[in-house]
Amino acid sequence: MLELFQNLGLGFHVVFQFVNYALPSWMGGFTVPIPMNILFCLIGAMVGTLVGVLPGIGTVATVAMLLPITFGLPPVGALIMLAGIYYGAQYGGSTTSILVNIPGEATSVVTTLDGFQMAKQGRAGPALAIAAIGSFIAGCAATVLIAVLGAPLTKLALAFGPAEYFSLMILGLIFAVVLAKGSVLKAIAMIAFGILLSMVGSDIETGASRMAFNIPELADGLGFATVAMGVFGFAEIIRNLDAGAGMDRDLVQQKITGLMPTKKDMMESLPAIARGTVLGSILGILPGGGAVIASFAAYTFEKKIAKDPSRFGRGAIAGVAAPESANNAAAQTSFIPLLTLGIPPNAVMALMVGAMTIHGIVPGPQVMQKQPDLVWGMIASMWIGNLMLIIINLPMVGIWVRLLRVPYRLMFPSIVVFCAIGIYSINNAPMDVVLAGIFGLVGYWLIKHDFEPAPLLLGMVLGPLMEENLRRALLISRGDWSVFITRPLSAVLIAAATGLLVLAVLPNLRKKRDEVFVESEG
Amino acid sequence: MSDTPSEAPANSIMPAWIKGPQDFIGGLVLVVVSIFALWACSDLQGMHGFSFGPGTAPRMFATLLMGLGAAVAIVGIVQEGPRLQHYAWRGPLFVMAGIVFFAFAIRPLGLIISGLATFLISALGSDETRWIEAIAVGICLTVGCAFLFPYILGLPMPLLPRFLVQ
Repeated sequence: MLELFQNLGLGFHVVFQFVNYALPSWMGGFTVPIPMNILFCLIGAMVGTLVGVLPGIGTVATVAMLLPITFGLPPVGALIMLAGIYYGAQYGGSTTSILVNIPGEATSVVTTLDGFQMAKQGRAGPALAIAAIGSFIAGCAATVLIAVLGAPLTKLALAFGPAEYFSLMILGLIFAVVLAKGSVLKAIAMIAFGILLSMVGSDIETGASRMAFNIPELADGLGFATVAMGVFGFAEIIRNLDAGAGMDRDLVQQKITGLMPTKKDMMESLPAIARGTVLGSILGILPGGGAVIASFAAYTFEKKIAKDPSRFGRGAIAGVAAPESANNAAAQTSFIPLLTLGIPPNAVMALMVGAMTIHGIVPGPQVMQKQPDLVWGMIASMWIGNLMLIIINLPMVGIWVRLLRVPYRLMFPSIVVFCAIGIYSINNAPMDVVLAGIFGLVGYWLIKHDFEPAPLLLGMVLGPLMEENLRRALLISRGDWSVFITRPLSAVLIAAATGLLVLAVLPNLRKKRDEVFVESEG
Repeated sequence: MSDTPSEAPANSIMPAWIKGPQDFIGGLVLVVVSIFALWACSDLQGMHGFSFGPGTAPRMFATLLMGLGAAVAIVGIVQEGPRLQHYAWRGPLFVMAGIVFFAFAIRPLGLIISGLATFLISALGSDETRWIEAIAVGICLTVGCAFLFPYILGLPMPLLPRFLVQ
């Protein structure tokens, strides 16, 4: 317990660190102390919301697009800013759900059901406020949970050998597939495709060039940010253009008045927030679409236990509060597998791994021990970030509404230019830009054939880790494949993965799973 | 994706026994990709003793992908599924053109010219573009990026054409 407070203390210390910044000589040459990390957190949350609010850009695309702007920062600052961008984008997504009935991403799909209805009744203000308050409360709880679970899980992770790691990654990937939407088979195919893509470039152990065709730009492998921006950024643009640039958006025209929820609203939503937080925190730790499933589950649960379920879908405030708290709690607890085990549970966390690697940090249990300031600083910054979101967002709703009116015909060329510059800036390599473009076309094709790009990204990040651990495990066991089922911990993980997969393909459960998604879409 | 209802009007190319052309073609292409990967890593060394060679893992996962792709294609044959979707040419063509132009122009022409040109080329991808508005926004964006990336973020890149700087 004491350790916990010490760790959190260290975290807040890092976040509130003042850096002496020397003013240029024409301003007198003084040094001014600036709370750099808080500033990064603030900028991240602001920019994340700003881009997240723009129609047609989801969370993953937002984080991918903004990745390059954190490259010039020190590692701690960069990660704090990225985390800020992430929940800023999440919050931006909820704003569009409520105001224009377009979910920014999958996690806020259910928010549209009651949120947009509330907005139509002229209660957009309370809906937005409750979403922010719910997210904040959920964020607080999730931050504590991360701090509590972080240390013990890290100890567990240190007991893992290569065989356990490999099995754990298999379990993680299976979770990701089962909890996500769409065909399980196609998602697994995408993972395999991603792993294969990760093997382009030099082999880690022998240095042999693999599938690079003597193209110097491929010798180092496919850049993770390049693929992510292609598949999520460019492909989304091309896809959206298909639908016509003038996507019809029935923006709520009423002026937003009265931001604060009434006392009755609060009374109704507080229990919902609490339930959403609990559900979200648990589901978020599970790898995969934790945040997505959490928001669906929270909504369904509220509807089930409500005294008058018919109010849902007609502007019930609990229908906004519960899923919004749940997805924020889940978004935050999904950092747990990343920070403790080094395994990204979803596409955004995969991007985080990409960012960490660029800063020379290999995520995993070692980070927690060797660079505690980084991990705890990030955890503390999450709490601060949530607080900032509530402070900056409520007064700025008016600005976000105006942003929603930006026509897509102006936005898409801007995104193209911004992404192109961003990709170029990573390595100063023009070829990377072309590669991202090619992956944009690949992503467009994947969308057309109903393949999800998120598992592909996950496979690409986990690919090198999986290969390394597989090789090591088999080397230690002298080529004996049974090592994965004879070591008890590994056997449990593999059994869980198999069980999950079997359950997922059983027709009975599959129907149930589809129902959850369909019901919430209807 | 269900939100793009623009399916091709008739799938006359597809024989009737393929019930889900979208999955069938999708799976087939994955099989082709995996065969290509197998070919691409055919020159790599495989197992020696019980340690992996550089080619072992790629071949393993390529084979896995082939199996999965085939399974997706088979599902496409036996299960009723969506038809092939309509591909637009205008969006992809001009967005790609803009991206490729940027890649080749950034070094010799600098950020300002290539950024604006990329903006305008990709703006051709939509028939709703209004040019005066687009040019104005393009200039603002380019100027903004010219400050943001090299100065605020400290990522070095040429701003002006090479022949002007020299």
